[in-house]
Order: sequence, then C-alpha cells, then structure tokens
Amino acid sequence: MRIKNKRDFLAGLMFTATGIVFALIGTQYKFGSAAQMGAGYFPIVVSVVMSLLGIVISLQALTPKAEEEQVPAFYWKKLFLVLGPIVLYSVVLRWLGLILSLLLLIGLSSTASHEFGWKGTLVNAAILIVFCLAVFVWILNIYLPLWPWFIDN
Amino acid sequence: MENLLANLGIGFGAIFSLDPVKLFGYTMMLPVNIVFAFIGAVIGTLIGVLPGIGPLATIAMLLPVTFALKPLAGLIMLAGIYYGAMYGGSTTSILVNLPGEVSSVVTCLDGYQMARRGRAGVALTTSALGSFVGGCFGTLLLAAFAVPLADMALQFYPPEYFSLMVLGLIGAVVLASGSLIKAIAMICLGLLMGMVGTDVNTGITRYTMGIPQLVDGIGLVSMAMGVFGFSEIISNVEKSEKRETFTNRITNLFPTKEDFKRMAMPVLRGSVMGSLFGFLPGGGAPLASFASYALEKKISKTPEAFGKGAIEGVAAPETANNAASQTAFIPLLTLGIPPNAVMAIMVGAMMIHNIQPGPEVMTVNPTLFWGVIASMWVGNLMLVILNLPLIGVWVSLLRVPYRFLYPAILTFCCIGAFTVNNDTFDVLTAAIFGFLGYVFLKFGCEGAPLLLGFVLGPMMEEYFRRSLLLSRGDFSVFFTRPVSLSLLLIAAALIVIVAVPAIKAKREETFRE
Repeated sequence: MRIKNKRDFLAGLMFTATGIVFALIGTQYKFGSAAQMGAGYFPIVVSVVMSLLGIVISLQALTPKAEEEQVPAFYWKKLFLVLGPIVLYSVVLRWLGLILSLLLLIGLSSTASHEFGWKGTLVNAAILIVFCLAVFVWILNIYLPLWPWFIDN
Repeated sequence: MENLLANLGIGFGAIFSLDPVKLFGYTMMLPVNIVFAFIGAVIGTLIGVLPGIGPLATIAMLLPVTFALKPLAGLIMLAGIYYGAMYGGSTTSILVNLPGEVSSVVTCLDGYQMARRGRAGVALTTSALGSFVGGCFGTLLLAAFAVPLADMALQFYPPEYFSLMVLGLIGAVVLASGSLIKAIAMICLGLLMGMVGTDVNTGITRYTMGIPQLVDGIGLVSMAMGVFGFSEIISNVEKSEKRETFTNRITNLFPTKEDFKRMAMPVLRGSVMGSLFGFLPGGGAPLASFASYALEKKISKTPEAFGKGAIEGVAAPETANNAASQTAFIPLLTLGIPPNAVMAIMVGAMMIHNIQPGPEVMTVNPTLFWGVIASMWVGNLMLVILNLPLIGVWVSLLRVPYRFLYPAILTFCCIGAFTVNNDTFDVLTAAIFGFLGYVFLKFGCEGAPLLLGFVLGPMMEEYFRRSLLLSRGDFSVFFTRPVSLSLLLIAAALIVIVAVPAIKAKREETFRE
C-alpha cells in the first residue's frame, strides 16, 4: 500500500499516539461518573476523541482520492541553531548573568542566517544588550542578575 | 443611547485621568493610560511594518511587562499593539509587495500596483483613512453591543456556556483555512494541554510529570512564543532568498476628489463586512480583509481593474481588517470567549490581573471596560497622525535585514518568558514549544486552534462538569435547554456546510485566492 498524503498520514499518527499517551496517563486519575466526574473523566474523553480523529486523518491520507503531498524537509541544523541558544540561555542565565547570556544567545542564534557575519552580529548584540538593560532593568526594574556569579551583583 | 454616552464618559474619564508616576527620581502627574495607548500604537505599527513578526508573538512577548502596570494601562497597550499592527501591515504591502501582516496580504495586490504607478502616497493615505473609519465603526459597534450581549450572557447557565464554547471553537476552525479535521484535532490537543496542572475541583495535579513548575499549568506566554514566534523564525531562516528593500521617495500623499469618490463606498462596505467577520469566531482581521476584497471585486463594474492598482482594492480590505480588530473584542469582553488566537492571549493578559473575562467585567470593573473601548478611539486617531507624516521612518525600518531582526525577537522573547515567573523554566518551555510548533508547521497543522483550545480547556471542563452535575449525569441537558440546543445546532450546521463537497471546493478556492 502506498501512502499518498504523507503529511496528513504522519499528522494523524501524531494525534493518535499523543491521544493514547494522554489517555493512559489519565487512567491514573479517578474516572468517576458523568454526575460525579473524577479528575480523569474529561481528559480521557478528549484523548479518545483526539485519537479517533487521528485515525480518521491517517486513513483519509491512504484513500486513492487523497491529495499527493510530501512532508516538507526538516532543517534540523537551523532548528538547532535557533532553539539551541535559547536552551543554553535558560541554563546559563543564573550563573553568567544577563549580559553574557544575551551575548551568547544573540551571537550563536545569528549563525542560523545564511547572511551571517561576525561584525554585524557583534554590533547588533551590543545595541540589543544596551536596549534591554535600559528598558527592562533600568526603566521596568525587572530583577535579573547582570554579571556572572563570581562578580558580586 | 444616553446610557451609552454615560458609559463612554466613564471610559474617557478613565483614560484621561492623571496618575502620579515616579520617573528618574521625580514624581510627576501623567496621563498614564494615554501614554500606554501611544506606546501600544507605536509598537503595533512597528511590528506591523516588519514582516516576520506578528501581533500574536509581540503581545505574548510584552505580556509579562504588563505585570508592572495597572490592568487598564496594560490592556490598553496590548489592544493598541493589535490594531496598530493593522495600520503598519498595509505600509509593507504597498511599498514592498510583501505583507507585513497576514491581514494585509490582499492589499499587496492593488496597493503595490498603485505604488508602481507612482501613487504609493495615495495608497498609503487611503489605507490609513480607511483604517481609521473602520476602526471607529468597529469601536462604536463594540460600545453599542456590549451591554445587551453581556446582559444576555448573564442569563446563561453551565450548559449554555459549554455549548457556546463548542460553537466558538467549531466556528473558529470552520472559518480558518486548512484541513477542518486536523484543526479539530489541534483543538483537542490544546484542551489536553490545558489540563496540565492542578485540577480545580479535586485539587490533584494532572500530567505534571513531577515537575513542580507545571503545577500551575503550562505557561500561555511560553506556548504562544514557541508556537508562533520561534517556529516562524526557524522557517524564515531556512529560506535563503534575499528580501528586496524599497527606497523610493514617497511624494503626493493626497488623494484626488475622484479618489475620494471611489473609496467612499468600499470603505463603508469594508466597515460593515469587517465588523461582522471580526465578531465571528475564527474570523478576525485576515478573513475580513479577504472577504471584503472579494466582495468589492464581485460588485465592481470594472472587475478587470482589480490587481492593476484599483483604489477600491486597497480601501476595502484595509478598512475591514481594522474594523475586525475592534469587533473581535466583543465576544471576549462580553461572553469571555476569545474569537481568535490574539484574543486568547488577551484572556491571559486579563487573568494575570485577576480579571475573569466575561459578562461581569462590565459591571464589576466599568472603568476598565469602558476605558479600553475609549482608548481605541484615541489610539486610532493617534495612528492616523502617527502613520502619515512619519511614513519615512517606517519605510527606513524596512531596511533592517532579517539577520538582525530575528536575534532581537529571540532576545525579547527570552527576557519576556523569564519575567513571567522569574524562572528560566518558562524559557525552556518556550523552546520546547518552538520545536513542537515547527513540527506542526511541517505537518500542516495550525497553531491557532491549539491556543484557543488551551485557553478554553479548563473553563470548558468546568462547565461540562457542572452541567452534568446539575442534570445528575444526564447528557440530554445540552439538548433540552433551548439556548444550548440552538448553539449546538449552529455548530453542527457549520460542520455539515463545510463538509458538503460543493462548498468544500468553493472554500478551498476562496482561500487559494
């Protein structure tokens, strides 16, 4: 059997699988009855509905009438270069402080662009860091450690 | 009518009031609300002009900032961003043939053609004037319909509320583009994500996987940033074409008498169409602009002129998207139901200030309610003044390359997400949702239904539970109460209509245009 609409087929699988996971976890909670619903009632009902919808989506993708569609390519490198620095930022913020963490975030994430250049990135980072300090720290008084842990903030 | 004027009086009184502000060590009396309406309008125009960042991600980004503000000032600013973006979006469409916002896609068709014929200034003025008329019209409707609708909603019992939410969610996906069944599945996923955290009825924590930060549920801000902000950035950087920058000088802003004559009726029709679509669940600004462009083309005596610089093709959609961005507040403020994803974020904004959106807002908090409405007029006026003389400034912003822009968006998101709870966990959550959003994008699943389901999830469960508690477990309670039944019937009718093959084909055709 050939899968005509690969995009929908995979989307359907995603919904079904997620639904099953949510329903299974939901069985840990009290189900109750319609009149006296436990914490598990509503989530399980919704999970089951979602799983069924997922099955329908996948089956529709197999029918001869389905539109021919491929899943567009995943650019894992770009994904990593954009999201990686965010994760890194969330890890190092407490230790390195705002200024260095932002420098890392902006410097590393900028490499995702095909027009990347170090000079422009550094200027951009400098402008952004000063702007953030001015707006968030000095005007809005949002509490953030500014410098690394070994410097007394 | 007299009531309306009295209410608006409250609103204008609230926004023009002076508050003491401590700035640089001095305490000054400032009209804080006006200042924030202005800030909102400027930010809105800015992100409207810049392609690649929309009002949704921006409002999510700035939501934490409103912690520091009074609720009225915060809401005024966020609302200003939303309708300000409608003004800004048209500028990019006209000058660069690239929509600054989704709602300005159709403006490219005729707006850019007008610009190529040396009439860029006229097109910009037309869209600004149209936007102003549309915005005022929408605000007027909001003011007029708020009281009766809220009165009606106060009569609702849990079954009616549950059915209303079903209708709202179904309507939202029927009118949106893309696959209907996938959108409904996305709503379910949103509902489930809304279940994460403490169950209000039983007090037990669900789906937290032992993570203490999830006890209060998944953060709306992180979710919206990830799904709408980060995933968009990844898909933008994976394309490697260069954006063209436009540098022509704009001269002659003034439309001729003939132009005025030609735009009058489209502006009027755009106001009505836009208001209608903004109010409908799932409608909102993008759909309003598409629909009113299609209408103008259909009833025009010279449909062949469309796409070649017809002023009607700029006036109508630009009026409609602004009218829609005002009337979208009607269901939110009166029924507590967000009709689109931006309004879902506004629910979050109200909740952090302990305001439960719904019919009670008006009676419990009249200065807030009427203040927001009054601020829309002031904001629209500011936008016209801001946009036309300062057009050069906005155009120069278009020359900022995307490689500088997206790290800036990431920076503001990371700081914004952190400040929600002063916890880096929210930044991490946003990154995870960025990944999920990217997967959804590749699988052709939309983020908006997910967000709507997420916001409505806990409320829906609560009303579902209470309805069945009242009926002692009898499901017929949703079908025996007339109002609830009619709401569900409308929802069912919507699905049937869209599923009918003939209409399905027509619908796909409309969205392709």
